[in-house]
Amino acid sequence: MIGLKLLLLLGFMLGTAVFGLIVGWVDRKVSARVQFRVGPPLLQNFNDFFKLMGKETILVKEGIHWLFIAAPLAAFSMLAVISTMIWVALILNQGFGGDLIVVMYLMMIYSVMIVIGGSSTGNVYSSIGAGREIKLLLGDELVFILVCLVPIIQTNYALQLDQIIAKQAENGMVIGSVSGTIAFILGLLCIQAKIAMPPFHIAEAETELVEGPLMEYSGPLLAFWKLNHHMMIVAYPLLLVLLFFGGFNLQGIGILWAVLKYLVIVVLMILIKNTNPRIRIDTALHFFWRIAAPLGLIAVILAVLGV
Amino acid sequence: MATNPYIALILIPIVVGLVNLILPRLLQKILTLIGIGLTGFLTLKLALDPEFFEWIYEIQYLGLDKLGIFALVGMQVLALIILLFALKGVNSDIERSFFILYPLTVGFCNGVILSDHAIVFMVFWGLSGVTLYLFNLLGRGKEASESARKTFMLIGGSDACLILGFVMLGLAMPQASWSITAMQMPLSGSIAIIAFVCLLIAALAKAGGFPFHTWVPSYSKEAPVESVAFLPASLDKILGIYLLARMVMQIFQCAILVHMILISIGAITVIAAVMMALIQHNGRKLLGYHAVSQVGYMIMGVGSGSPIAFAGGLFHMLNHTIYKSNLFLALGSVEKQTGTNELDDLGGLGKKMPITLIMAMVGAFSISGLPPFNGFFSKWMIYQGLLDLAKEVSPGYEIWLLVCFVLAIFGSALTLASFLKYLHAIFLGKLPKKYDKIKEAPINQWLSTGLLSALCVVLGLFAMELPLKMLILPILEENGMAGFEYAGLYKSKFTLVMMGLVFLIGLITYILTRKVRFDAIYLGGMDALEKFRVTGTEFYQEIRRMKPLCTIYDWAEKKWLDLYALLGGCSNSLGGLFQKAHPGLLSLYLLYIVLGMLVFMLLK
Repeated sequence: MIGLKLLLLLGFMLGTAVFGLIVGWVDRKVSARVQFRVGPPLLQNFNDFFKLMGKETILVKEGIHWLFIAAPLAAFSMLAVISTMIWVALILNQGFGGDLIVVMYLMMIYSVMIVIGGSSTGNVYSSIGAGREIKLLLGDELVFILVCLVPIIQTNYALQLDQIIAKQAENGMVIGSVSGTIAFILGLLCIQAKIAMPPFHIAEAETELVEGPLMEYSGPLLAFWKLNHHMMIVAYPLLLVLLFFGGFNLQGIGILWAVLKYLVIVVLMILIKNTNPRIRIDTALHFFWRIAAPLGLIAVILAVLGV
Repeated sequence: MATNPYIALILIPIVVGLVNLILPRLLQKILTLIGIGLTGFLTLKLALDPEFFEWIYEIQYLGLDKLGIFALVGMQVLALIILLFALKGVNSDIERSFFILYPLTVGFCNGVILSDHAIVFMVFWGLSGVTLYLFNLLGRGKEASESARKTFMLIGGSDACLILGFVMLGLAMPQASWSITAMQMPLSGSIAIIAFVCLLIAALAKAGGFPFHTWVPSYSKEAPVESVAFLPASLDKILGIYLLARMVMQIFQCAILVHMILISIGAITVIAAVMMALIQHNGRKLLGYHAVSQVGYMIMGVGSGSPIAFAGGLFHMLNHTIYKSNLFLALGSVEKQTGTNELDDLGGLGKKMPITLIMAMVGAFSISGLPPFNGFFSKWMIYQGLLDLAKEVSPGYEIWLLVCFVLAIFGSALTLASFLKYLHAIFLGKLPKKYDKIKEAPINQWLSTGLLSALCVVLGLFAMELPLKMLILPILEENGMAGFEYAGLYKSKFTLVMMGLVFLIGLITYILTRKVRFDAIYLGGMDALEKFRVTGTEFYQEIRRMKPLCTIYDWAEKKWLDLYALLGGCSNSLGGLFQKAHPGLLSLYLLYIVLGMLVFMLLK
């Protein structure tokens, strides 16, 4: 039994990674077309990844090396487990060792690792970026909790991922209600911030902080950070599909629907990315706490009232 | 009663403390170790041997049920581990007094748990407050005496409430003959409500709940660090939540509104304290505010009335004592090596003190509730209970409850943020030049924090098998609350194994592909000067400046939200009025006398 689960984990880990690199290509291609460029070939992300794997790793002399090395790998393992939980619920309709609360808490580990790994070097840019990373986490987390509550309430307090799907199959998708629609829009912005996609790439801020926490990373470790980023583009939108679109039905025409559900979210995210410049961290906090959070609360109240 | 060997649990530590008055230092330490070890051993026997347990239950004045055993075991474990830390490292000028007070405190706290008679309970409760005050006086900070006074006023004042509450209960229920476990009444009518509020104030003040929490941060800043890890971080939490659990589980039958009020107090405690913690510049004060904030989860869990959240609340209490004393002790190690606990002066110590860094990280991740550590498990249980409750109540209550739920989860994100700042300020970032020769803490110190960290991991992984099954679920069974189901799903061991496996795969990939070169920090051609150092204490300036939070922060910094300062201000102004009325003029006093006589005549 545990062997089967291990196989599932390894399979979904590899699947998410490969799929993520391909979606990364979609991202780059669409962005290029928006900017009237040609864009990279299909396998460009794979080439980048393997090239980084072959490059040398530069460790900062006075940094804490074991933390520096462990951080991207720990973030990678967290993402592998989360994406397996989501895939298993979506495809096999089973639980995989954790419910929605576990997923919410695990997702925070990514920011922790960015902060710890980046600032273990003592680089001033990394430290500034680390501070911004946590603040952004604070901003989107409040809204994300409210967003996750809406499907929980609408499915009569189901917490397990597979049950959330099953209840939606009975009662209709969460997005079909007013509260579900509000929550979905907010959720889209939250995961945009969690993936650190523009306009929320505040911590990395290439032109200002030179990749911030990732500044000292190079070689295979940087490859892992890039891979993590791509895996998030797969896992987090799928979580929204699970919570609001009632998951997948992988039979016949259902496959087309499944792809469509995912693509709608990703394309929306890419469009937001390409039409908005980077915002300041205090603007982001202001937006999440004073505009999005009250809206989220309204969505929760509407969900309790059954609207 | 004279033949009862388990009065030993109270007497041994007290006698050790008294004998320590005349012993030299080395013998003091040995005797304390033996004494606390012995009580620990007896407690273990008591917990494992139910027949002894049946027998002791009969004894008058002293009594013990499963809740008591749970609290007792937690206290002995903590007392032993913190003693290990204190063996080498307490400042030498206060060492003698420390080893007198330490066993005395253990004895008094054991007394609180073991006494079934309300008056005995109050005596021990008060005595444990006295040692808290004395410990605070041992502190060497400038404001030690001021904070000791504050602590004493708040704790002593709440003791008065406790006495009032128990006397009212005792008089209202003569059939109970002052036995706490025999007291039972529905929470209706003015006597019950006043008694409930009085006991609640005592429990909140002891555990450090809003709005009686203000002594915890100032005590944490000023008192010796071992005593901070010992009392406000662990033993006082156990005592306060123990009393709260007794109240809501046995003494009073509460209506849903009371549960909602308790949950709201918990949620406010979580958020208010953690927001204050975010902006602290002093490491001890930051941890002190977190010691308050975590009480909120316990109050939410224990006060919610849902069995699963109740179990979670008690479990969280145990977890909190472990990770918070771990954090305080790790900070104590840093403080003893560097001589400061101001976050602005520290930085980059992770390279010099790697073991302390690991322990502090385990503590920080546990308190923020990251899986698979213990803090997550208890929080997860509390959330399940709250959502269970939300399913059953009317929509108005449901929304109220969900707001508290959101605040609780958001509280742990804020806790995480605050601890990332804390870790960054002490261990990460750039090392200041003056700390070039710092060494790792002595072996007994990291052994002690190491044990606590190991407990954090073990209790997180084997939560179902060890603490819940052996200590907490029996409490629920004894009080007829057993038999609940988890709505959610969390397999801690499984999750850890899975994550560990992927981590290993990643590590092997890295090792196979790496080509390592060492180099200096890259700053785009600039030198990494001292002035480019970021400590991390300024991370949350944007939050500090945000409207309307800035107003609240301003109020808090002016101490307008501090109950002690408010009451002190009131009594000062009252005193000022009386002062003005006493100018020392004979004619005025004569006038008072005549006026007074007139009043008496009129009343007659």
